[in-house]
Amino acid sequence: MQTANKLMSVRRDLRERDVRVVLVALIIAVATVATIALFASQLQRTLVSSASSFLAADRQLEAENGRPIPAEWLDEARERGLETGRMVEFSTMISGPEGFQMASIKAVSNEYPLRGEVEIQRQSPGGERETLAAGPRPGQVWINPRLLRLLDLDIGDTLQVGERQLEVAALLVREPDGGFRLSSLAPRVMMHVDDVESTGAVQEGSRVELVYLFAGAQTALDDYYQWLEPRLEPSHEWEGVREGETFSRSFDRAERFLLLGGSLAVLLAAVAVAVASRQYALAQRDTVALLKTLGLQGQGIGRLYLRRLALWGVAGVAGGLLVALPLFWLLVGVLGDALERPVEMHFDPAALLPALLTALVSLFAFAYPPIRRLRHVPAMRVLRAQPGETGRQALPDLAIALVAVFALVWLYAGELALVGALLGGLVLLLGILALLGLALMALLRRVRGGGNAWRLAFVGLYRHRQASLAQLSVFAMTIMLAAILILVRTSLLSDWQTQLPEDAPNHFLINIGPESVEQVSSFWQEHNAPLENLYPMVRGRLTELNGEPVKEAVSKDERINALNRELNLTWMDQLPEDNEIVQGQWFSGDETEGVSVEADLAQRLGLELGDRLTFTIGSARVTEPVVSIRTVQWDSMKPNFYVAFPPDGGLRDMPATWITSFYLPGEAKGALGEFSRQFPTVSVLEIDHIIERIQEIVGQVTQAIEAILALILAAALVVMAAVVSATLRDRQREGALIRTLGGRQSLLVRSTMLEFAVLGLLAGVLGVVAAEAAVYVLQARMFDGNFRWHWQVVLPLPLISAVLLAAFGRWQLRPVLSVSPMLLLRRLE
Amino acid sequence: MNQMTDLTGNQSHPMLRVSDLGHRVNLETDTLTILQGVNLEINRGESVAIVGRSGSGKTTLLGLLAGLDTPSEGVVELDGAQISKLSEDERARLRASRVGFVFQSFQLLPALSALENVMLPLELAGIEAPEKRARELLERVGLGERLGHTPRQLSGGEQQRVAIARAFASDPVILFADEPTGNLDNRTGKAVSDLLMELNREQGTTLVMVTHDEHLAARCGRQLHIEAGILTEPEAAREQAS
Repeated sequence: MQTANKLMSVRRDLRERDVRVVLVALIIAVATVATIALFASQLQRTLVSSASSFLAADRQLEAENGRPIPAEWLDEARERGLETGRMVEFSTMISGPEGFQMASIKAVSNEYPLRGEVEIQRQSPGGERETLAAGPRPGQVWINPRLLRLLDLDIGDTLQVGERQLEVAALLVREPDGGFRLSSLAPRVMMHVDDVESTGAVQEGSRVELVYLFAGAQTALDDYYQWLEPRLEPSHEWEGVREGETFSRSFDRAERFLLLGGSLAVLLAAVAVAVASRQYALAQRDTVALLKTLGLQGQGIGRLYLRRLALWGVAGVAGGLLVALPLFWLLVGVLGDALERPVEMHFDPAALLPALLTALVSLFAFAYPPIRRLRHVPAMRVLRAQPGETGRQALPDLAIALVAVFALVWLYAGELALVGALLGGLVLLLGILALLGLALMALLRRVRGGGNAWRLAFVGLYRHRQASLAQLSVFAMTIMLAAILILVRTSLLSDWQTQLPEDAPNHFLINIGPESVEQVSSFWQEHNAPLENLYPMVRGRLTELNGEPVKEAVSKDERINALNRELNLTWMDQLPEDNEIVQGQWFSGDETEGVSVEADLAQRLGLELGDRLTFTIGSARVTEPVVSIRTVQWDSMKPNFYVAFPPDGGLRDMPATWITSFYLPGEAKGALGEFSRQFPTVSVLEIDHIIERIQEIVGQVTQAIEAILALILAAALVVMAAVVSATLRDRQREGALIRTLGGRQSLLVRSTMLEFAVLGLLAGVLGVVAAEAAVYVLQARMFDGNFRWHWQVVLPLPLISAVLLAAFGRWQLRPVLSVSPMLLLRRLE
Repeated sequence: MNQMTDLTGNQSHPMLRVSDLGHRVNLETDTLTILQGVNLEINRGESVAIVGRSGSGKTTLLGLLAGLDTPSEGVVELDGAQISKLSEDERARLRASRVGFVFQSFQLLPALSALENVMLPLELAGIEAPEKRARELLERVGLGERLGHTPRQLSGGEQQRVAIARAFASDPVILFADEPTGNLDNRTGKAVSDLLMELNREQGTTLVMVTHDEHLAARCGRQLHIEAGILTEPEAAREQAS
């Protein structure tokens, strides 16, 4: 058996084209899936650590009541291997040489920040920036640059915080946890937590927020939360990155895109492996017949090919990983470039499992079935060609392949909607293909040959109708998968870009008194930063739902943040542009009744139109029915409100302050100092750094998506090449014959290229139609976007596929044109 | 004066005994009879040519005699074993140990070198030191210098010589040849048939050859004619055989 076994040395196998295709397909499958899985895990880690820096930790526990949490909670966390840290946040008056200013103080412990870095300047503005993973030392403060101007301070001066004098050691440019918190509306002063007591600023009854920081492994965090949850009081709030409204959607979408990409890579690879291994099996029939003639038994043949498959598997996995690892390394580099900071490479061996599984399933569900049937090849085939396989014999293969591929995609993406959309798209595609195939063949039958390239092309299509239909199916499928990916990517990216345009608001003005609204507005008008949407804001608590206390009316399992804190209520006559009514009607012009509620809150509270909500505002109570439910773009960087009243509605007599957000270019930031002096009571919230970070994250995700898209399109090209080369021999023989019979080279080239171009065009159109159908489902179910037609994106695809396939056709003909027909015919014997 | 389809030899231990062999193929509408009523006995060491036109059924007959296919009716006994009653695997085992083949289209495995092609049946038959034996045989057919070449690197005549070496490698008791010179020019064909005959004599193998080449057929001890599925033996040849 040694020589028979030698038949399966990979080196020898490599001499066979079909084996090369199977191996290349396997390598690409393994490489794509492994790269995506590795990169997804890296990306997730990088994103989470970038985003964790928004919390300065992986998790925060906020105690809004200002009472410290029991010491044993922190001990428990440390015992579970978590790092912990502590912050105290409060507002207080500070003073310098030039008067007083309300400041929002953040006092941090030595461990701060557990994630991310603080950016400071040790010289006056314009000096060099410095990032470090620490807060100020005891006795020192870092302050918002605006305070320098407001209080006429310099670095090195002392600042009075309550009863304590602290040295201004640096300017605080960026803090890693620059979130929105009411206490942080005033300019920031960061100090050490040990100095808090000596300032005397925190007294019994002061409004203080204690924030505890936790960081560590995901599982340890989850376990700890399980332990902690039953002990939490209503005033405690456990916050993780994923709950942050601004970023979770970006994460989800990026993750889903990666999963989708991975699934499509699996599908493409499966198609390539299936096509190539079927070709291989067909080509192996003569060998099997000979081996049988020479005395090899059925079982021996089965073993021979099984071992061979196993060898391919090993070679495919090894080759795939050899491609994946440098690629992964490269992508991590790209990520680092995008982030302008080194990214720690995080190699997760578990991420290789899907790749191994893909190789295994590709081999045994796609490659094995046609090869398994080889043992039934009659020995008599050595003497006389036997009838080939019928389509019926291949049907069980198709069934096995379909089941396997969807099981694989499901396993890989864990997303039924995705599997459903892909399956739906494919079924639709196959249905159209069957109909179209019949119609096309009926049409093509009428074309008679002739010296014209077009006619020859159509005759060619008809003459190879079985191969043509098979190729059409595979091309259409490949194009469909590629189109899905391109479409999803395009809408994903454009969604993001519209979400955060260059001039997205980057400053909030809060606490504008009714009497200053006009002046504030004209101040910014003069400074070329007009305010667009000014909203009145009334703070109130939602206390009753249909007359019942709201905490009893809502299930206890639902921890709803909106119920734990005061809500920002507003009145408005126009629905904001980016809001959308999902139920009910927006207020009519002179409406005096009702409220409009944000959709997620309404869902969590189980609200329906007509439910009566009671708000407690100061000492007053307002009860109004729900008249509409609307969606809100939380990440729009504009003021957003859970609850809106009509202008003459329930809030009309309530004292309100106004809020707005606007875009202020970096070079115009100097105006802020003047503004603060003119309007000392108005709070300015600078979120330009947050926006920068969000744009950075979107940039990161975009880069990753583009890289993965490129990988998958490469896989698609290999599939196409595999399928085209499946009929290589026949085509070349035919080409040689045509030339022998006196056909001109140019005619041969033109007709072949036309034939493939027609095939490509058809496949392109079909693929695009099926892709639109699949994207329709995907967008609605997975990317919660509204479906739009994407003709401008997909229209070029059929043309590209026509050109591409024409090029493939030309490439196929190469040997036919460069070698004498006789030599070629002999070689093909 | 031909005797119809009853070509029973008269030695006590025939290498091949065929009785009432028939083969039919079911087509969509009717049944096509390819062979009918074939009776034949071939003795050890005999060389027999089966001559007939294209489509006369000679290749089918060869396949049935060699156990590559099973007949619709009748019995084929090869070296005492009733091959029409054996399972496919049993027939494969029988072929591995006792049967050699030479084909018109050589049927060498393109991925294997000349040496490996010859070693293959030796290993399948479990013969020890296959490489030594394969080398000897390739040297014997004049390809001692081409051991490492793959079929693609060999001419047609050279490929057929490798095939002949392979056919004799496992010391078969019977050798089936299907148009062994059909794909070769006259001169090369002559050289190849010389080699085949020579080796056949040296090894004392029984040779059953299908050909439409009268010259080649004439070099065999016995000639049988097949036409429209019916096998006949010219009387002269039969007398000579007996």
